[in-house]
Amino acid sequence: MRVSYQWLAELVDLSSLEKSGKGPQALADLLTARGLEVEAVDRLDKGFEKVVSVQILKKEKHPQADRLSLCTVTLGSGDPLEIVCGAQNMKEGDKVCLAQVGAELPNGMKIAQGKIRGVTSNGMLCSESELGLAKESEGILILPPSTALGQPLAKILGRDDTILTLKLTANRGDCLGHYGLAREVAGALGVQPKAGQAAALDFSKPFAKSPIQIKLEAGDLAPQFLGVSMEGVKIGPSPAWVVKRLEAIGSRSINNVVDATNLLMFELGHPVHAYDADRIEGAVIGVRQGQAGEKIPLLDATEVTLKGGELTIFDGKKTIGLAGVMGGGNSEVSDGTTKIFLECAEFHASTVRKCATAHQKRTEASHRFERGIDPEGIDFAISRLTALVTELAGGKVVGIVDARLPSRALASRASRQKVLSVSKAFLNDYLGTKLSDAELKAALKQCQCEVTEAGAQWKVAVPSYRLDLSIPEDLTEEVARSIGYDKIPATIPALTSTPKPQNLSQSPLAALEKMKDMLMDAGFYEAVNLGFTSRAWLKEFGMSSSVSVLNPLSEEHEVMVPSLIPGLIKNALNNQRHHFSADPQAIRLFEIRPTFSATEKIESKSEMQTTVVEKWKVSLVMIGPRGTGALKADQAAVDFFDLKAVLEQVFETFGGKAIRLQPYKSAPGAAGAYAGLLHPGQAVEVVAGNRAAGVAGMLHPKLERALKFRNPVWIAELDWEAIQGIGKPATEPRAYKSWSEFPPMERDFAVLLDDSVTAEKMVSVALKAGKPLAKAVRVFDVYRGSQVAAGKVSLAVRVTFSEEGRSLKEEETEAASRQIVDAWKREIGAELRG
Amino acid sequence: MSNLFSQLDGIGAKALEQIEGASDLATLELVRVSVLGKKGALSEVLKGLGSASAEDRPKIGAAANDWKRKIEEALEKKKGGLEDQALETRLASERIDISLPSRGLHKGALHPITQTTRRIIQTLGRLGFDIATGPEVETEFLNFEAVNIPKDHPARDMQDTFFMGPGVVLRTHTSAIQMRAMRNQKWPVRILCPGAVYRCDSDATHSPMFHQIEGLWVDKKVSMSDLVGVLEFFAKEMFGSSTKIRLRPSFFPFVEPGAEVDVSWGKDRWLEVLGAGMVHPRLFEMAGYPAGEAQGFAFGMGIERIAMLLHGIDDLRLMYQGDVRFLKQF
Repeated sequence: MRVSYQWLAELVDLSSLEKSGKGPQALADLLTARGLEVEAVDRLDKGFEKVVSVQILKKEKHPQADRLSLCTVTLGSGDPLEIVCGAQNMKEGDKVCLAQVGAELPNGMKIAQGKIRGVTSNGMLCSESELGLAKESEGILILPPSTALGQPLAKILGRDDTILTLKLTANRGDCLGHYGLAREVAGALGVQPKAGQAAALDFSKPFAKSPIQIKLEAGDLAPQFLGVSMEGVKIGPSPAWVVKRLEAIGSRSINNVVDATNLLMFELGHPVHAYDADRIEGAVIGVRQGQAGEKIPLLDATEVTLKGGELTIFDGKKTIGLAGVMGGGNSEVSDGTTKIFLECAEFHASTVRKCATAHQKRTEASHRFERGIDPEGIDFAISRLTALVTELAGGKVVGIVDARLPSRALASRASRQKVLSVSKAFLNDYLGTKLSDAELKAALKQCQCEVTEAGAQWKVAVPSYRLDLSIPEDLTEEVARSIGYDKIPATIPALTSTPKPQNLSQSPLAALEKMKDMLMDAGFYEAVNLGFTSRAWLKEFGMSSSVSVLNPLSEEHEVMVPSLIPGLIKNALNNQRHHFSADPQAIRLFEIRPTFSATEKIESKSEMQTTVVEKWKVSLVMIGPRGTGALKADQAAVDFFDLKAVLEQVFETFGGKAIRLQPYKSAPGAAGAYAGLLHPGQAVEVVAGNRAAGVAGMLHPKLERALKFRNPVWIAELDWEAIQGIGKPATEPRAYKSWSEFPPMERDFAVLLDDSVTAEKMVSVALKAGKPLAKAVRVFDVYRGSQVAAGKVSLAVRVTFSEEGRSLKEEETEAASRQIVDAWKREIGAELRG
Repeated sequence: MSNLFSQLDGIGAKALEQIEGASDLATLELVRVSVLGKKGALSEVLKGLGSASAEDRPKIGAAANDWKRKIEEALEKKKGGLEDQALETRLASERIDISLPSRGLHKGALHPITQTTRRIIQTLGRLGFDIATGPEVETEFLNFEAVNIPKDHPARDMQDTFFMGPGVVLRTHTSAIQMRAMRNQKWPVRILCPGAVYRCDSDATHSPMFHQIEGLWVDKKVSMSDLVGVLEFFAKEMFGSSTKIRLRPSFFPFVEPGAEVDVSWGKDRWLEVLGAGMVHPRLFEMAGYPAGEAQGFAFGMGIERIAMLLHGIDDLRLMYQGDVRFLKQF
């Protein structure tokens, strides 16, 4: 909200702030310290500080330049000045604007004393465009002959005000007018605010019968409605001070009657409306809830179709406005209007908000009604409005009328005084302060809250316009605002229960954080991607999302991610894009974040549960050289077994032996969302216990090509819940196991296998056959080629034999070895190579 | 007889001379074998011992042993010298250019958001805070109504919301976690709630997803001065011991009184980094706590904002691009 300093100064004595010499800034600081944050303080005369009115005494040709003139000007007093000027539209006797030496004009031009073609110029005569008053202009600005000389231009233009831009919080609707702010400032400065002049209209004794009657048909949604009928009003332009005031706060002048309603709103914060009384049919005006499909033409020349339930204003024949939002185009005041009907009413806050939001008509009026207006201030508001209209447009009041529900009856106004009960000890205990009774009362008084009863339990009368004060805690804030938040001491709260360990070890995040550390140690950088993405990008990977955003910012953010892989792939591509070297680029990224899915309609199942399922995934992408060394020998590209090494590291820590890798089935449906994502011959499915726990392998070469990757891309995505639930929690202490002090024996074999038999199978056969002495079976070389038949592979295998507590005898090892070799032959058709 | 003695002396002297002259270990070994070997010169001489008189035999034997010892000593000494020399040669030949590039290990790093979150948790953990988490897709009830932001209330404008379905939103703040925690646990509650949050806002300084961490301390007697003390501790631990904090009144529906918190930055700047206040009694009501029994404070901050301050990052968008040029710096 834009606030005029001059306007505010009329409503509250700011002289104590002005003593400091910087009134507006001091005011801004005061407001900010009270929770009414001032975002900016702008002088309207910015750029005009050294521009004054002068009269041209003499105009001659520049002695050295035909196109320039040399003017002698006067400020009305002091020595005349010589100014060189390029324009020709002025004549002797004209009053013009002089930018004096030192001026910095709105367009950024700095004025210095200088010689132009040998003649000293003591400033510059300005055009409208140079002054920022017009986009384009020809010649310099000629001021009216009546202009006084030596006057600052800001004053001539009425731009001598300073504007404070406030960022008001939603709870302080009472400050959405200059008078409301004046009240707040007055409290802080210990002075009284000065309300605008108005002859009070007494609705309890109407002095003239209103020609228009009011109907309240919306119950509590519109509990009171006051009207004033005026005749003999003369519509016309507003006087200069009104135009200046409205423009200063970012509004604009329409005509004197509409301006009066706007002035009233910006003064008291209460939106009001003026109707052309001749256009109200049936001598009646009322408020009711509209019907769905009903159409209303509005002031802004648009038409809205109601959704039903909106508060509308109607007359005997038609609907003439959206209550609290905007008046109708069929009843507005126009040039020929002479009879008007002024409305000042109370409309239900959230109903107005719903209407303004639904029809995208967020207006100054709806903004104020949403935040709530002073229900008891309505009589003064319409009295003041009547005074303003009379002042600006003449006319006389021919009738006043009010309609109020019992909850707003005039007679019971005193009984509606809101009184909060609070113990004075509570005020201090809550804030942690030690304020005396007098200090507490003074603090509350600053906010116009009167303590009406002494003793330990206080009764605090709260002003009707402070809709935000309803519980004792609200009063603690008023005390704190008044004394200043900086007066609250700093203490450390007492511990009343034993804190959990600080190192995260008990928290739900602990294991995830350990996983992050592990992947970092494995040489991966952590990426963080947004939780949403586009359908098109998912489609590249044969994926789709079951969770959409109903109001996305753009296509980029339309659905929630079902997998972290597409995001990491995008990251990898970004990195590849800025890699310009012939050196191979290493990209190793991981991400640990939730993914989203839903198998039923997205809705809330209870207060605490939705149908959307969040699964945390641990995902990684790996591209490029195995090492980071610059020498060629270190730059071999990673392959499946590098990826497998990382996975084994993870499983070792998190899942134990219950996690297995199985061949990846690329058929649709086989690997769920990951079908078609991976190279069918160089990928695995991860199985934890009997649960699918993810996939790992080479990004399908088709995708690699389509996405223009320069190197094979290795990816993995693990289901966090599946892998972490399977082993002992990674954060729990591990049990110690002793080892044999006796040296084991090793035997090496060259085993010739069918290509279709996996190494894993060969190993498991050996371990089983070699029981109990064979403790480990390890492949240490793989050979395919001219020395073995096609379709065969030769594996070099080392078997380790040992026994707890003793050395093995040669014969025992031999016997176990024979059993292994026999089993190989019998079970998988494997031969030893000669 | 004297013949044998002079033979021994001759062999000995020659051997010593040959040892001295040997230029490498192989030559030295040849010398050893030719003198001390089974068929060496010394053994050959001793084979003639049988023809010596019984009286001379021990003397000759002693003389032979004497030579043997001398020769062995000389061999040993020469061997040591030659070995040292051979090592020197090897060392010289094995010299490498240590200025060539290393083989290199992959270095990883945690995202600055993770690092900052941990830093905050570790700092406040010292005061006794535990961690609590919740889902990113949240019920509208927990995100709004339960934390005192009713439907059709202007306070909803403070947080432009992504909607997913009836009653389902992407959480706009981590305050929803607080309510989950309070519904599961009676006071004392001391938790930090970190997590990603979402708002319909995207420009150079706003991302539609960002991270927050909120603190909640609820007990029987917790006052606003406790909030000030905790925030002061936090600011000094995070930003340096000379850091000051400044509270300004503000409005957040879930607290009363509410405050914006600035921290001093450099000589004369204040940066707004936190929102805070005393937990609004409406939240206790929503949590099912009996009226008037619990009091508490809450505070929240944007993790990216803190991370940008700590690391001097000037562009928020860098956080979400997975750009290694960025990630490797932390």
